[in-house]
Amino acid sequence: MARLSKGIKKRKIHEDGAWAYAFIAVALVVYAMFTAYPVVSAFLISFEEYKPLGSTFVGFENYANTFGDALFWKAIRNTIVYTALTVPVALAISFAVAILILPFKKWLQTAFKAVYYLPAVASGVALSVVWLWIFDPLPSGILNRMIDLFGIENQNWLGSSATSMFSLVLMSWLSSHGTSIIIYLAALLGIDNSYYEAAELDGASFLQKLWHIVIPFLKPTTLFLLVTGVIGSFQVFQNAYLMTGGGPDNATTMVGLLIFNNAFKYFEFGEAAAQSLILALIIAVISYFQFKFLGNDVEY
Amino acid sequence: MARKFRVLASVLALSVSLSALAACSSKGGDASSSPSGTASPSAGASEAKDTITALLPPVSANYQNNFEQMAKDFNALYPNLTLKIEPASWEDMTQKLDTQVNAGSPPDIAFIGSDGISKYVQQGMLMDITDVATPDMINDFDKAPLEYMKKGDGLYGFPAYMEIHALGGNKQFLEEAGIDWKNVQKNGWTYEEFREAIKKGVVKEGDKTKRYGFVFANAGVTSKDYLNILIKNAGMPSAFTQDLKYAYTSKNYLEVLKAVRQLIDDGSMPKELSSVDAGKRWNMFLTGQTMITGKGLATFENSANKNNEKLKANDGSAVEGSIPVEYIVLPVPSFLGQPPVSSPAVDGYVTFRGKKEPTPEHKANVVKAAYFLASGKVAATTNNELFVAHITKSGREAAKSMTVNRNPDNVAAVEVLLSHAAPARPDIPVELGAKAIKLEDEVIIPKFQALLANEITPEDMYEAVKNAAIKEFGQDGVVQD
Amino acid sequence: MALYKQHSGNKLVKYVRNTAIAAALLVFAVATLFPIYFMIMSSFGDPVEAGAVSYSLWPKKISFDSYRFFFDYSPHSFKWLLNSLIVAASVMVTNVVFASLAGYAFSKIRFKGRNVLFSVLLCAMMIPYQVTQVPLYILVVNIFQIENTYSALILPGLVTVYNIFLAKQFMGSIPTEIIESAKVEGCNQLQIFTMVILPLSKTVLAVMAILTFMDNWNTFFWPFLVTNTMEMQTIQVGLKNFRFANTTYFAPMMAGATISALPMFVLFFSLQKYFLEGVTVGAVKG
Repeated sequence: MARLSKGIKKRKIHEDGAWAYAFIAVALVVYAMFTAYPVVSAFLISFEEYKPLGSTFVGFENYANTFGDALFWKAIRNTIVYTALTVPVALAISFAVAILILPFKKWLQTAFKAVYYLPAVASGVALSVVWLWIFDPLPSGILNRMIDLFGIENQNWLGSSATSMFSLVLMSWLSSHGTSIIIYLAALLGIDNSYYEAAELDGASFLQKLWHIVIPFLKPTTLFLLVTGVIGSFQVFQNAYLMTGGGPDNATTMVGLLIFNNAFKYFEFGEAAAQSLILALIIAVISYFQFKFLGNDVEY
Repeated sequence: MARKFRVLASVLALSVSLSALAACSSKGGDASSSPSGTASPSAGASEAKDTITALLPPVSANYQNNFEQMAKDFNALYPNLTLKIEPASWEDMTQKLDTQVNAGSPPDIAFIGSDGISKYVQQGMLMDITDVATPDMINDFDKAPLEYMKKGDGLYGFPAYMEIHALGGNKQFLEEAGIDWKNVQKNGWTYEEFREAIKKGVVKEGDKTKRYGFVFANAGVTSKDYLNILIKNAGMPSAFTQDLKYAYTSKNYLEVLKAVRQLIDDGSMPKELSSVDAGKRWNMFLTGQTMITGKGLATFENSANKNNEKLKANDGSAVEGSIPVEYIVLPVPSFLGQPPVSSPAVDGYVTFRGKKEPTPEHKANVVKAAYFLASGKVAATTNNELFVAHITKSGREAAKSMTVNRNPDNVAAVEVLLSHAAPARPDIPVELGAKAIKLEDEVIIPKFQALLANEITPEDMYEAVKNAAIKEFGQDGVVQD
Repeated sequence: MALYKQHSGNKLVKYVRNTAIAAALLVFAVATLFPIYFMIMSSFGDPVEAGAVSYSLWPKKISFDSYRFFFDYSPHSFKWLLNSLIVAASVMVTNVVFASLAGYAFSKIRFKGRNVLFSVLLCAMMIPYQVTQVPLYILVVNIFQIENTYSALILPGLVTVYNIFLAKQFMGSIPTEIIESAKVEGCNQLQIFTMVILPLSKTVLAVMAILTFMDNWNTFFWPFLVTNTMEMQTIQVGLKNFRFANTTYFAPMMAGATISALPMFVLFFSLQKYFLEGVTVGAVKG
């Protein structure tokens, strides 16, 4: 009897496995063609001096150049600082907003959701033009007019090393968190009321409910937003490119910008590929730790 | 069941390995063909149908509107040839072009600045048209701009115009400050004269400066323009001397850096200079917040006139707070007794090739298309809109029938500047050129931005540039004076 | 909603508390909304060059000239919107179908190589696009030769790892007992997926749909790369063409940006009802 059921179980697992492969088939094919192939290409290119007419194999030269390049490490530092300042704050803001929207009636909830979602929809390029005006360094600039009320002298927001990184970070904080808010809200709504009721019977306060029920329940979501947030932030370059061009004195040069310059301005595609792979490695290491701390799936 | 499992697993493995295989083969292989059609067999080839692709940005205000007409006219001229024009914006054009070049399938013709030629020659993706361009075509062009389209021994396209980067002044303010601008236009001015002149143009209201003497766009990468325009007039018309030594380690370079700082510290230029972008510097000019603006292109005269008309019409469409302005072309000051050398920008139609070697017939057709775009009616219309001089005989002919509304003083001033434009340097090898570009991007521009923001001294920047140059070119490869 | 105390006895406290929260939310909303406000206000200005633009908080004159300019500028303006719609809608549908399938497989089915495969998928997200663009371009244009077609715009985005990851995380919280009990009743995985998982995942699917559509609608560089005739371009590419010579036609660009933002709202409001119900609720008790 036991042997029979073990046999059934094994068959069930194999059958499940077959179904699993069927389910992921389409995704895998698309992935293999449009994602894996370019990545493998990039990997191969990183060992060459790439020329469209015919590349030459140079071994680890590109990697050696990158490791010895002081600007690369400065860019990495800038990017890490930027990520550390923006991703956790973005998560905290979206979490807070999602929680705050909860107590309202449906129509008000929808209104707020729309309001926060709206900026995400506007074109990034159009928005950067607006921000350039906000950061206008002359006393007539919007931000300068505001701090003038406090008696502070007008700042050269994007042009001085002290404030340029902060300006980019500020821009990120005030940009749309609509995506994260919506995801958090969706997850929050999945928490069954019975948990709260049980907690209230035990006399739990708002904060205790938050800490013991909401946060653990939201762990998978937080992990998702954290991992994708870090991945995205490490690759950021559009804002730096449009607003500061990486300056002044490379204070806002991000790794994404460096890679972009290498690939397109200097046409050193092999080196750009090497830099990309080093960047990917760093991100992978960070993600590994994120999974370790937050990744234990909560099964109910 | 187990078999299904194994089959699926092997399908998986196969697809992943196939992609890896494709990655290896595609680079060496010849799978790509240039996007334009290949000509049919050689016999009677000149009558064969062919398509030429061109990637063109909005060169002038109406340029992109005329694409259909241009394609039609070309087809009328050569019934067997089709000109397929693809529009792009200035900012994105290089990214797209570069991706296509890297992938081995660029368009046949692209409109870019001549300084980009060096970059693409290094990749071997440019098509040398020396042997295919007819003598008639070559002679149609003025010598100076044509030189800019050459590198080493090859000619890589046709120039569309040669624009001079100068400064622009507000006539009324200039006269109020007692500056004899007509003389300046004819004979130029030294740095010391310039410094005094713009001091006179500053108008203060208590502690705040209402009007600056001089403003130059420096935000982001435009800071490159400002520095280049000045050092050309300080005895360094190019990054390399005639014997191919890196020129920016000269003491003159330090003097220019000091001058940049002086102009700001004098109060004649805003201290937020590093964040002033093109839109801002033009806005400041139109609203009377500055006497002189830079960089100044001849076409700005047109923009200023248009705004003046709107002010007259008083329909609220003029720039808010703007005043009527008469635009005056002014030269850049010269430093340390060096001869004035004006900064030309030559943009043109550059010819590309794909991974596959183009057939002689296709080469000839591409040249025909490039010539069509760079001369005659097309060039005349474009250049007139841009207020730039014509550089082809055929263009001048065609322009005779078109009217242009330009201040004759400005026209004369531009002629003077054109006469001492910096000469092209096709002799600079591409590797040196590429190193200079990288140095500029990674050291010079960042440090310059910091200098403008008063975070480092001119001496600091000079040291940094010198050290980087010596590291890159060696002690013998740089100028030492 | 039961996270907060109900205060069913003291209505005043509840009212005050809610107002305080609303005020805080509003302040933050204003700060985030300001650039959008400016974008819309500028779109009512005259179609003039950016250097000539006056930055004011309230438009001097309201005109729809810029909107007309946007539509007149190119006979393809409508086509751009249509193209974006077709591409974004297709990608949205395919993603919802295939990413949810894959997400379920990764989260609930135990199969060989599950973790390794998922890590590999995730790692590919970490390579910056600048470098993957060129090989991808070679693949699409040179090898498959499908440039300037809808396929070129749709295929690379058919299923994204981001969506698979999202689905996996959300489906992870579906109680395993339900799946086990369905298996006991003799359902195979496909039946489990369609009859058990899908209904419980309406929320995440709605979220995925909106995010995918929005992301695809806003994307610029890839469509820019693979289209080379004006009639195949998407709205974001068309918008960028407003940068003329050395200036930008500011107001028409803002007008275009406003127009392109509208369909997002329509989509949002039509899908948002799925957000208001916690659809996984009740599954445990049943």
